[in-house]
Amino acid sequence: MRDRSEIHTGYALLVPALAVLAVVAIYPILGLFWLSLRQRILPFGIDAFIGLDNFRLLVQTPRFWNSLGVTCYFAVLSVTLEVTLGLSIALLLARRFPGVGWMRAVILLPWAIPTVVTAKMWDWMYQPELGILNYFLRASGLTTEPVNWLGTPSLAIHAAIVADVWKTTPFVVILLLAGLALIPSDVYRAASLDGASPWQTFRHITLPLLRPILMVVVLFRMIDALRAFDLLYVMTSGGPADTTETLSIYAYKMLFQTLQFGYGSAIGVVMFMLVALVSLFQLWVGRRDSRRFVRARS
Amino acid sequence: MTSSASILRRVGLLWCTLAALLACSSSGPPPAVEPGTVSLVFRHGKISGDPRPLQDLIRRFEAENPTIRVRSEPLPSSTDQQHQIYAINLEGGSGGIDVLAMDVIWIAEFSRAGWIRPLNEFFPYTAQASFLPNTIEAVTYRGRVFAVPWNIDAGLLYFRQDLLERYDRPPPRTWSELVETARIVLAGEHNPRLYGFIWQGRQYEGLICNALEFIWGNGGDILTTDRQLTALTSPATRNALAFMRDLIRTYHISPSLVTTADEETSRHLFGNGQAVFTRNWPYAWTMFERAGSPVRGKVGVYPLPTFGNDRLASTLGGWQLGITRDSRHPREAWRFIEFLTSTEVQKILTVQVGMLPTRRALYEDPGMFATQPHLARLGPILAGARPRPVTPFYPMVSQVLQSEFSAVLAGLRDPETALRSAQLQLEPVLRLEAR
Amino acid sequence: MKSARLPSVGAVLILAVVLAWTLFPILWQALTSVKPDTDLVQLPPLLPLHPTLDHYEALFQQHPFSRVLLNSFAVAVFTTLAALTLGMLAAFPLARLPIRGKTLVLGLVLGCSMFPAIVTVGPLFIIIRALGLRDTWWALLISHTTFALPLTIWVLTNFLRELPEDLYRAARVDGCSPWQAFVRILLPLCRPGLTAAGILAFLFSWTEFLYAFTFTATEASRTVPVAIALFPGLHEIRWGEIAAASIVVTLPVLALVLLFHRHIVSGLTAGAVKG
Repeated sequence: MRDRSEIHTGYALLVPALAVLAVVAIYPILGLFWLSLRQRILPFGIDAFIGLDNFRLLVQTPRFWNSLGVTCYFAVLSVTLEVTLGLSIALLLARRFPGVGWMRAVILLPWAIPTVVTAKMWDWMYQPELGILNYFLRASGLTTEPVNWLGTPSLAIHAAIVADVWKTTPFVVILLLAGLALIPSDVYRAASLDGASPWQTFRHITLPLLRPILMVVVLFRMIDALRAFDLLYVMTSGGPADTTETLSIYAYKMLFQTLQFGYGSAIGVVMFMLVALVSLFQLWVGRRDSRRFVRARS
Repeated sequence: MTSSASILRRVGLLWCTLAALLACSSSGPPPAVEPGTVSLVFRHGKISGDPRPLQDLIRRFEAENPTIRVRSEPLPSSTDQQHQIYAINLEGGSGGIDVLAMDVIWIAEFSRAGWIRPLNEFFPYTAQASFLPNTIEAVTYRGRVFAVPWNIDAGLLYFRQDLLERYDRPPPRTWSELVETARIVLAGEHNPRLYGFIWQGRQYEGLICNALEFIWGNGGDILTTDRQLTALTSPATRNALAFMRDLIRTYHISPSLVTTADEETSRHLFGNGQAVFTRNWPYAWTMFERAGSPVRGKVGVYPLPTFGNDRLASTLGGWQLGITRDSRHPREAWRFIEFLTSTEVQKILTVQVGMLPTRRALYEDPGMFATQPHLARLGPILAGARPRPVTPFYPMVSQVLQSEFSAVLAGLRDPETALRSAQLQLEPVLRLEAR
Repeated sequence: MKSARLPSVGAVLILAVVLAWTLFPILWQALTSVKPDTDLVQLPPLLPLHPTLDHYEALFQQHPFSRVLLNSFAVAVFTTLAALTLGMLAAFPLARLPIRGKTLVLGLVLGCSMFPAIVTVGPLFIIIRALGLRDTWWALLISHTTFALPLTIWVLTNFLRELPEDLYRAARVDGCSPWQAFVRILLPLCRPGLTAAGILAFLFSWTEFLYAFTFTATEASRTVPVAIALFPGLHEIRWGEIAAASIVVTLPVLALVLLFHRHIVSGLTAGAVKG
């Protein structure tokens, strides 16, 4: 009887959220898959079903592989840096000391600025002649020529990664701070009584207890980083020479600049599959690790 | 710690307040129009500078046409974003837009996609003759005209008159003259922050505008008049592309930062006195001549150089007004367009906003020259500007070329390989068009 | 939570570096926003020689910015409440109740966030337009809530799962219905998770651009990021005005955070869960 009421309540509570998601998200998602199987190029008056031809063409296009590589490179580097940095900051800010409240508020600021504004901000700082970064480099004597941050093929993607890390680290910090809050203080007291060093405390107590929320953080950051669009598009529009063209930008150009709705949707489908694969992999690793952790504990 | 019940109560109260606010929010469908009036929606990119002159003009139109109401919905200035909005809105019909302002390269694309209506019934040849012929060419596709040219843009060469005079050099007519002049000035000035020639080499549409000026100046092209790609891989085109790269890498009169420069970066650098030459659109002139500008009074304007032939090689830009195909009020929409492109209104917009007119009469009007002296100088250049290929697949061509040209400028690919690769990518596109 | 102890010198240094790294771009924007146009193009003078409020004036004069701020704020608050409410309601069964298919539901929810926004915006716009919701708060509320839900649900589910089992069981043994146990015992303990998820949902809505850009047409519903995108002229990128706009966008959030920072602090560090 009790279990019945729990199950009924459970389903009832799930309905509102799932309803919203289903109603709003279902049409675009179905539309995406449907379009990816068609060739729909309005400027040519073409609108026909072509099956998997879009995907076949995609696989044969070097530009697709380039954008796939850029996407993965950007995502992996960005997320690694963000999580490392974010974790360190969260650990520092989890203590109670005068001014920590203000600091937590300040740390949030980069996440509170719209991405397009962030992109313009960093674009301004990266300007070869008028940018503050080159000014400091020149003033300190480190360089004589202005560095072409966003116009040099090897530098552009890294300059964008720096801006992205700046913007998204607060996301990591905030979730990890919440995760750290759940760890009871007795645990730390016990550890210090046992004579554990800070590093040992971190590695054997904090990190395992943070694992669940850390996994959520990495999962969502990875999903976002693989789909990153605004920041890169505003800063470099995919250039120079397509070295910062991610799958998102490639899809955008195909969809909205050349009006190839079928082909662009196919890129969208590939992006979805990439993100799904990466997420599934992360979840699998996480589950395997936590099982090992539980086994080690018992 | 507050109890969960009181938290819930507070949250509930907040919800109610916000729900009430939502209900009262004055958004939604436009205010009801009285019967007999027609409501037009006009979407356009934000006007550079003061938006009030345009708003005043719209109010004036409404006063002169009491049965028509115009709702202006501005878009960001970024052409990409405007194109995106139009694509989303017009995909499924008129999207609630009646009159729209279009970039010169979209006309063929929009017309073939069935988004704008042909205007021949409102805008016959006799009326078209009052406009600059190249602007009419840009809005004509398969024999029918799809928009009315509203304002015009063309690539210009700006130079520091004072520096050229100091070294006794005339304004260059050929690219080799420009390189030589720049070299002499740079050698003489000993200023490490002074650059020879700044242009737009970033990977975007502006790169194609710049590249075409080099290519056309050498007698090459990207598409022949019968839509063939033979011109793309011709030696003329190849050498022009190589020259662009050499400006940066061999002659060193253009810094590497041109690979990330757009119009504004170029304008800032030249306007700050850091360049001898620059290529930009006419709007920059007003900026250079503003009070407080370091280069005020020192700037000269000239047609862009070529590689020896005497043809003008300047890319045509500008905005055109069209009517959506499913607009329910095409006649009233036309009245509005007629008003905005009339001689008088074009004059007002030129004087107050700095837009350049598309009517021929305004370039022969001494009254105009009195207040806008630069018009006299710019007139011939504007009239000689060449439109980019007027074909529905121009955006696809541009996409491919942007990628390849950017690779050449960055030194990642040589011109021959890049152009051949572009040809391979564009052949399927042309086959689609031929269908 | 670590006990109240003054941080070591090393920690202070690192914190100082972190603060500098976080604040420098914003401070640079603030400086840029008060430099007159002519000063902007020259770099040796780092600090503004003749500070001016011209850019801020231009912002508020030429654009009905106060309405835009209201739009952004209303949509963000609504989105946060909706996401938290719906998310919490869904997280409870997913974390604690013996329903079937939890993994499937979580997977589907996650799946909704895996699509690039640019491919969803076209079809969504068609729906919005068909419903006559173009240029209204509703359009943004619906889309923002939908795309804030996956993260909210995951975070809150995670938090509920981490709470000790015994608390819920004890409450049920005492005769509470599942709902009562949830509201009276579990919900208050979730404050860190609710705070974090709430902040993220609010900021997501506040800074969201693509849907706001596509679904709004006039100041009736335009939000701040879109208003900023409308600033530059055809060719002019007005660095000064953009800098002023970035400061104006950040200030309300800063004010909110400072106002609520005690709640955020206690929410984020509610170490009320004793082992």
